[in-house]
Amino acid sequence: MMLSKEADQFIIELRMYLLSKGKKEEEIAEITAELEDHLLVAEAEGKGIKDIIGSSPREYMKSIGKEMGFDARQFMTLAPMTVLLVVAFSCFTPALMGEFSLSKVGIWGLGTVSALSFVLYGFLLVRVLPKFFHSKWFFVIVGAAYIITTGIFLAVHFLEQDPFFIASPMQNNLIVIGCIIVFITWAFYSKSWITIIVPFFLSWGPLALRFTPEHINEDPVYITITIVIFTLIIASIIYFVYRKNKKKKA
Amino acid sequence: MSTTTQMLKGLLEGSLLALIAKGETYGYEITEKLKEHNFAVVSEGSIYPVLLRLQKNKLVTSVMRKSPAGPKRKYYSITEVGLEELERFKEHWEKLSAGVYSLLEEGDGDDVI
Repeated sequence: MMLSKEADQFIIELRMYLLSKGKKEEEIAEITAELEDHLLVAEAEGKGIKDIIGSSPREYMKSIGKEMGFDARQFMTLAPMTVLLVVAFSCFTPALMGEFSLSKVGIWGLGTVSALSFVLYGFLLVRVLPKFFHSKWFFVIVGAAYIITTGIFLAVHFLEQDPFFIASPMQNNLIVIGCIIVFITWAFYSKSWITIIVPFFLSWGPLALRFTPEHINEDPVYITITIVIFTLIIASIIYFVYRKNKKKKA
Repeated sequence: MSTTTQMLKGLLEGSLLALIAKGETYGYEITEKLKEHNFAVVSEGSIYPVLLRLQKNKLVTSVMRKSPAGPKRKYYSITEVGLEELERFKEHWEKLSAGVYSLLEEGDGDDVI
């Protein structure tokens, strides 16, 4: 037995809503499992989702959220850890290239952009993405958000001037190690490989830049080969994810 | 919130307690039983916030078990505190309904005259 698309989407929206309100993960898992079970049985008997949650899903989510406790401990660990992760992500690439530096513009710019991207991703995760979970637009929206935030990060990077701190090669390596520790801790905490896989792919470019001799680096043949290989890898990842999703649905 | 909605909220809480007191049960079964008793619930899902509240106030406990339908199912049973609360609810309801009933009856009598 399977849930209808509408019911499935409601469950995802509810989960994201409750997560964004800092509710306990365990309680969220319980209530969503409970509603999933109810919706499964009700839909099998020909009832619609409106018979179960009423005419306003948003109001229903609020009524559920109101009865659940706020998990201060979870929130207190999650917030600083997320900040650390963002800092690690923005320091990782320049440190790998051996070019880590700090300037006033850089710090303020990165701070503002990080805050903005928090808001953007938060809004996307809770309000927008659950509505597109089953459509191709999901990837388009995530891609666009990623391109926009990376673009602003890059713009800040280029605007950076007058650094007051330039890391020595040793300090650059220490920063890289620090970032890796944050990524691994996050992977354990979130029980997902994403904070290891993303930096892994991010590191190829800077590492190549740091360790390949200049004449190879500027050779158009090598550049073309790299672009082709990267495109192939990204295409195969997208294909793999797509096939996995399709299998899941079947 | 209208008086009817507020009244219904309190009544629903007591009625769910009464239902769970009859034996271990789960969400969908509760809505089915409410319907058997012609209990007008706005939507089936409106029992879940109430169940969460009952559990938060330790009037019921729950256990997750595998269901034949697929996902895990949450089964509720009443606690000692829940039984005491149910007794209080019954007393209140009896007094309240007797009062309202007698008032309405009296009103009907006036209409006839």
